[in-house]
Amino acid sequence: MTISRKLLRALLAGIVSLLCAVAWRAVKPGYAWAFPRDHWAHPEFRTEWWYFTGILQDVANPEQRFGYQFTLFRVGLLPEKPNLNSRWATRHLLMGHAAVGDFGTGRHHFSDLLYREIPMLSGFGTYPEARIAWSLAPAGTVGSWELMWNGEAFDFRMRDDERGMAGDLSTHPQKPLVFQGPGGISRKGAEDEVASFYYSFTRLATLGTLALGGRTMSVRGVSWMDHEFSTSQLQKDQVGWDWFAMRLIDGRDLMLYVLRHSSGGADFRRGTLVSAAGEARFLTAGEWSIRSTSTWESPHTGCRYPSGWALEVPAEDLELEIEPILQDQENVCRRSANLHYWEGAVRLLSKGRTPAGEGYVELTGYGKNNRPPL
Amino acid sequence: MQFFLGGLIARIRSSRALFVLTLLGVALGVASVLSIQILNRSALGAFQGSVRAVGGEADLTVSPRGPFLPEECFPRILGQSGVASAWPVIRSQVALQGKEPIFLELVGLDLFAPRRIPWKSPPREFSQALSVPGWVAVTPTLAERMGWTVGQGFAVTLGSRRLRLQVGALVDFQKLAPLASSRLVVLDIAQAQTLLARPGEIDQVEIRLKPGANAAKTADRIRAAVGELAKVETPEERRDQAQELLGAFRLNLTALSLISLFVGAFLVYSSTLASLVRRRAEFGLMRSLGAMRGQVFRIIVGEVLLLGGLGVALGIPLGYAAARANMGSVSATLSNLYLLEEVESLKVSPATLALAALLGIGGALLGALAPAIEMSRKDHRTLLTGSTLRPVAGTTARPIFLAGVLLLGGVALWYAGPGHRWKPGGFILGIAVLLALPLIAPVVLGSGTGRLRVQSFSFAYGARSLSRSLGITSVAVAALAVAVCMLVGITVMIGSFRRTLELWIGSTIRADVYVSSESWSRSRGQAGLDPQTLETLATRDEVRSMDRLRQTFTECGGRRVSVIGVDMGLSGGESRFVLMEGRPREALRRARESGAILVGEPLARKGGWKVGDRLPIRTPFGEESLTISGIYFDYGSVQGSVAMDLAKFEKMFGQGPINTVALYMKPGADSERLVDQLLTALPDRGLQIRSNRALRDRILSIFEETFAVTRLLQAMSLIIAACGITLTLLVLAQERISELALYRALGASRPQIFRVFLGKGMALAVFGIGMGSAGGLVLALILVYGINRAYFGWTLALHFPTLALAGEALLLFSAAMLASLYPAVRASRTPATELSRDDL
Repeated sequence: MTISRKLLRALLAGIVSLLCAVAWRAVKPGYAWAFPRDHWAHPEFRTEWWYFTGILQDVANPEQRFGYQFTLFRVGLLPEKPNLNSRWATRHLLMGHAAVGDFGTGRHHFSDLLYREIPMLSGFGTYPEARIAWSLAPAGTVGSWELMWNGEAFDFRMRDDERGMAGDLSTHPQKPLVFQGPGGISRKGAEDEVASFYYSFTRLATLGTLALGGRTMSVRGVSWMDHEFSTSQLQKDQVGWDWFAMRLIDGRDLMLYVLRHSSGGADFRRGTLVSAAGEARFLTAGEWSIRSTSTWESPHTGCRYPSGWALEVPAEDLELEIEPILQDQENVCRRSANLHYWEGAVRLLSKGRTPAGEGYVELTGYGKNNRPPL
Repeated sequence: MQFFLGGLIARIRSSRALFVLTLLGVALGVASVLSIQILNRSALGAFQGSVRAVGGEADLTVSPRGPFLPEECFPRILGQSGVASAWPVIRSQVALQGKEPIFLELVGLDLFAPRRIPWKSPPREFSQALSVPGWVAVTPTLAERMGWTVGQGFAVTLGSRRLRLQVGALVDFQKLAPLASSRLVVLDIAQAQTLLARPGEIDQVEIRLKPGANAAKTADRIRAAVGELAKVETPEERRDQAQELLGAFRLNLTALSLISLFVGAFLVYSSTLASLVRRRAEFGLMRSLGAMRGQVFRIIVGEVLLLGGLGVALGIPLGYAAARANMGSVSATLSNLYLLEEVESLKVSPATLALAALLGIGGALLGALAPAIEMSRKDHRTLLTGSTLRPVAGTTARPIFLAGVLLLGGVALWYAGPGHRWKPGGFILGIAVLLALPLIAPVVLGSGTGRLRVQSFSFAYGARSLSRSLGITSVAVAALAVAVCMLVGITVMIGSFRRTLELWIGSTIRADVYVSSESWSRSRGQAGLDPQTLETLATRDEVRSMDRLRQTFTECGGRRVSVIGVDMGLSGGESRFVLMEGRPREALRRARESGAILVGEPLARKGGWKVGDRLPIRTPFGEESLTISGIYFDYGSVQGSVAMDLAKFEKMFGQGPINTVALYMKPGADSERLVDQLLTALPDRGLQIRSNRALRDRILSIFEETFAVTRLLQAMSLIIAACGITLTLLVLAQERISELALYRALGASRPQIFRVFLGKGMALAVFGIGMGSAGGLVLALILVYGINRAYFGWTLALHFPTLALAGEALLLFSAAMLASLYPAVRASRTPATELSRDDL
């Protein structure tokens, strides 16, 4: 190969990478947060999600408890809308996941949808309209999934007649919004730009209705909300993450994540501890340790997940055992090929196995070829 | 067993000609049925394969009743209870430039919707399907054929528009459905709508149901949700529709192939008889040595089974080869006449092979059963004394004749009454004619040859002697008569059709130059001519006027047919429509002034529409009923068509591109020169520019292509019939061996015996051809006036292609003579020493 050809290639590669970099916005310090505007979509970033998890109880029968997850994802396809004379032309997909774990029956219910963002199928609202994101319900169900801003927090609803699931929940904050990292930046690896903008409402009082298997219940409980947007969430050598969102009985909340290396070990870890008053303290990797104490093999995918952990945060005098409330809380997507992950309610136990709180754990990238495409 | 096999081999050696002829007869019979079955199934398979490849394993399909489905109906379909998933589809055929244009079927899908696509080489980034202009996924077969690799660009045309596409990925649809077309080209629906210039339109929605969902109830809910816009069908209903659409075509071929087998069975019958006659003494000996009747019967049946098996083994590759050779013409017929998928590969299912085996072996057995029973029943003395075998036909000729007359008379009466109203009634009558021929053959042959005056030991003596062995000779005459009947019937029908078409072309194809696009033959309304091309055409000095045509497909009176819009006010334009009902000037004036329509004959016949009726036509905006002011002869499609004024068309279907134009030139201008000049002036636009003569030739070549398979079957039947004559004469030579020896002993010369046998052959040919021709004329009437109208809806003017018929008669007679030569030579060589004591 001649030098000029090499030069030309290098030049082209440079132009391409420059174009790409220009195309999707990278996560960098100095972002000017503006709420409530930032609760809405950020289409200049490639990926975005609104994540709600929580534990609800039947108002009429408080013994009857459920874990739930409701998530809407914005999956960026192209930085700009393609110049096509068609209403099917789009730059985003909208993916929705909803799960309910019935602690009484031990059954885990999951529904998902995937639509391109076009006016007849799904969309993302713009501030100040109330709707943040919406989509048609999964095929076979009339209606829609929606996430709305209610003035102080979020209302959302979903429905899947085939799965016999429906939920209509309204939240209001018990604690203020917290950033999950300095300036709202949550780093995911050694590379600077592998990071997301990330904030949470760790305690949202939740009220509404939940329908499961033909029975509709009034429910109440507490939810955790994450809103995260980024262009690059995983380094090339990372395969997935373990994420923990825990509400302690003493009023503190703890968020931890471990990005896993393709070799199997932890690659990058961070955490945030939120005091009972709502003040956040960011935890470095050296301040906490977590190890898996057990595993569970999915009968659906054959995938082996960790299932039970021992956590220590010595500076906070925290030693917790984390146990899944149900073993099988695996979400196997029907509408996105090869996508499955474990997302479930956990109980927290302190020394002597006394209850210390509850929370949600998410385990992604387990099994073969299951690295999230981020 | 050893005896059986040893005996069989010895017999084959001693009578090779007989064996080869018999085998050929069974093999040809099997081959003709098999080839047609393979083509029939492959034609349907190609349709279903592509449906399956695009629709996945869809349980329901929503298709438009108008020209297209508005995409807004998609979310309404998606939400209906019972639906597990749904995919919108938009499709069109485009022409890939080359010596012979290859048509690619562009299929626009929502590539981001959850569905299984059999990627062979998946896209590196799915988003490229949206961002790379013209991104498409092609099948590995097409990529290999064209030498394409991922990333390579190529150009296609749709109408006069040139589209630039790029191979983005490979998708192996044949993995999902082996008979799926390799020419399927997949792209994202957004790219497809843009490239095809059809924003907002989709062609169908494929639906997968939830496990356990009730298809009929879900279909009802979807119907209620989308209203009158669409129809909802199961794959079975779609297949049935394709089957119905192809029904006439398939039935035609199947009937012809069964006739071949019918003739083949005669051949097997003759040959078995021949074999038995030869071995009369042998059976007598076996019986006198203690062989039981059952044993003799089993030996005969065993031999026939083996013969049938060998015939089937030979017939299967022969049938496949025949199907392969005709795939192109069948494929062309399907795409030209029915606008369906082309057939790219043949489907040979075990069921088809089993049917071929059953027909071959079963036919042989059936043919041999009666003589086998008779032979096994005769006592050994009769067999040994050499009295001639006289099968039932000799004594029961009259009752059989009566049965034939009654059958034909009865069916004819029935057809004249209620039968002609039943669609397959014509076929029943046709079959009755073919069945009656063999039934009346013994009496006709017997009384015909029996009355001959014999003045010398020559031709006439030979002919007259036929009446003495009617059991054998009438079978040969019947086989020939059936083959000739079919040949004459079909020749007259094709001749009438061609003549009618020529007259029709003569009066409707009047313009000097016709301009359409390569993709128009497949994409019709979607293949438009751009304004610049139209401007270039219209402003040529040589051009006096330009006739523009737009076309679409929509539901008219419950049937999906072609609707065309033309300038009804064009001076001299009345000639474009040859009316069978209505007055031309008046009909066109009403079409121009009050929005009336003209309806093509097939649609009028199938829907029972008459002048003055109001035909409901579905448009993208609803349904409108228009008055029919005329019904025109229309040989362009099987489904039928509707013609209206172009202005009315645009009002009903909205603005759109002109699809084809016809140019009328100023006096003295040279149309061939204009064609050459236009082709140079308008390059790379995929245009088809043809002079009047070239277009006429093209239409007639499509016509010939359509009937290519029919002609093949005719040829096969003829070969079978010729085999039959040879075989019969060989049998006669064998049966009459002692008689011939006696003649020789009494002083008959070899040439005399040769002439006697040639006389027999001539008489067989004359009677076979005569009876066949008479039957053929009746069959032609049934085909032209009954079957064609019922199935195709076409009126054909009866025309006797005299030259073709005379040629065929001569050919047949020559074939019969040739077929008689070998037996005649063999007979003439019979030495007087063959005379045994018993014969005296």
